[in-house]
Amino acid sequence: MTDPDPADFLVREAEHLDNNELREWLEGCVTEDISYQIPIRITRERGAATDTSDGGWLMNEDWHSLHMRIERLYTAYAWAEDPASRTRRFVTNFRLNPTETEGVVEIKSNILLFQGRYDTAGHFLAGERHDLLRLVDGAWRLAHRRVLLDHTTLDIPALSVLL
Amino acid sequence: MGSHAQTLPLDPLPDAIATLCDEVEESLESGLLPARVFNDPEVHRLELERLFARSWVYIGHESEIPAPGDYVLRYVAEDPFIFVRDEAGEVRLLFDACRHRGTQICRADKGNTSHFRCPYHGWTYANNGDLVGMPAAREVYGGLDRSQWGLIQAPKLERLHGLYFACLDESAPPLDEFLGDMKYYLDMSFGYVGDLEVVGDPHRWILGGNWKTTAENSMADDYHVTFLHRSMVQLGLLPDGGDYFKACHHISPGNGHGVSFEFSGPDARVNFGYPDDVAAAFGRNGLDPQQADLARRCHGGGANVFPNLAILFLQLSPTLGDDAPTAFTSLRLWQPHGPDKIEMWNWVLVPKGSSDEFKQQSYRAAMATFSPGGVFEQDDSIAWRSITRTAGTTFARRIGFQFNYQMGDQVGAVETVADWPGPGHVTSHAYEETLHRMLYRRWLDFMRNEDYPPSWTDPRVVVREH
Repeated sequence: MTDPDPADFLVREAEHLDNNELREWLEGCVTEDISYQIPIRITRERGAATDTSDGGWLMNEDWHSLHMRIERLYTAYAWAEDPASRTRRFVTNFRLNPTETEGVVEIKSNILLFQGRYDTAGHFLAGERHDLLRLVDGAWRLAHRRVLLDHTTLDIPALSVLL
Repeated sequence: MGSHAQTLPLDPLPDAIATLCDEVEESLESGLLPARVFNDPEVHRLELERLFARSWVYIGHESEIPAPGDYVLRYVAEDPFIFVRDEAGEVRLLFDACRHRGTQICRADKGNTSHFRCPYHGWTYANNGDLVGMPAAREVYGGLDRSQWGLIQAPKLERLHGLYFACLDESAPPLDEFLGDMKYYLDMSFGYVGDLEVVGDPHRWILGGNWKTTAENSMADDYHVTFLHRSMVQLGLLPDGGDYFKACHHISPGNGHGVSFEFSGPDARVNFGYPDDVAAAFGRNGLDPQQADLARRCHGGGANVFPNLAILFLQLSPTLGDDAPTAFTSLRLWQPHGPDKIEMWNWVLVPKGSSDEFKQQSYRAAMATFSPGGVFEQDDSIAWRSITRTAGTTFARRIGFQFNYQMGDQVGAVETVADWPGPGHVTSHAYEETLHRMLYRRWLDFMRNEDYPPSWTDPRVVVREH
């Protein structure tokens, strides 16, 4: 039996996030030892070794902190997402790399997220995802995600959704 | 080293804004404030000129530029400056503008360099600001006195407990005098905690709001925590009800600064919530015995150094588990970005001597709660955006919409703490708005006066009976 398509998993995972099915996402799409990271980007001169912050994060989450963030959104007082924003994730440019470990793949993709809120025009966030997927009971789950946003100063009032 | 420039006298205050300032003064006496000050292009322009270009404002922490040549790009309100440690180790703040045509010479957020070179014609400056070369200098500039054409230094730059503050007005008093009795509380907190270092790089994001709304919130709006942040109560991450949310004292040290900190009883060893092994390194560091005692009893909370530097000493948890909340320290700058937007800068600082494990835990607690994705901060953005929107409406202006800052005083719900060991006016609890009114009183000083506004300590804006 061949493994399921990792890119297909990312498309279906995005559907959960777009639909605000966040408990389903946590329950069905990620591993218990997930590491979910969005480092701060900084503008550096072209010759600099890196343009991601050493130790500065927008998010640096494990399962427990993702759980807290998600459960918060199900309370009656999560004003930042109530009314909920309308999100659309465009996940493209898949680049698949096998790893040494059986049942684990590395997949890079590009993400463009549109977030519509209230009566405003909404905004976009763009970035590259570096994901590590692991097969659990024959289905892919997200074990590690590192999102490299193409923004330094975020032109958004709050980072209230997952990328 | 670099060049110095003289600041020019201010233009007189336009009549319409002078009238608005009179209204603000009169309103404040009744605990009210015209909504218009929170979203008006002319008010904003004059704030930049009269308030931000004359106040001492926060620039950065010494740990951000530890080595010679290290620099970061910073802003005084909306004006760009290079915060740099020169080859001799001296820290400088240089206006990011080539002296030839004004081209920006630094386009990176940070780096290390011995020289800054203008991309337009190649004028080159040493990292102390000196002009050291121009293409074809001998042929076209002959004997031009280079010492007169260095990058322009900010008129004043001072350091306090590793924090650097700058002032763009040469006639301003020294930082100590601008801080007044606020210095006592900065010594009590930053002096006591000792050497801190910035973790990574600041969070930066642009949100709808006016900087005054956010400054007053993070300084002393304990009242909103119980409702706006109620999701945290529902999750069990904050206690429910009781006196928890008003447990802080509001301390008004004068000059528009404000502190909302909680203190335990005389023998408590709280140390801003830091665990014992971390707090073991905290110390007197020149504090007087009463100040050190207050520091030991202090849980922290929020504070604001006028005009726009917010300070947080908090203990919160990033998970729903049984982990104890972790202490963290943040410095937060509400940078005006037009009348109705703010560019927020947020630095997380950790005790330099603490373990790597604690530093990471502390950063995580800060990031999870107060950052663009922070579970407290996300909800704040909703309130702030719409306050500013209301303030900018035609109808609000037509009816002279006033915001209410009367909490506490009128019903005598708040008492003055008579035997407070430190300076300033201190209230028995935090459900009151003296500190807000003090901030706007200082705002008035800067908006109205062409001469540098004199310092004051606690002339309370008393709310009149209605």
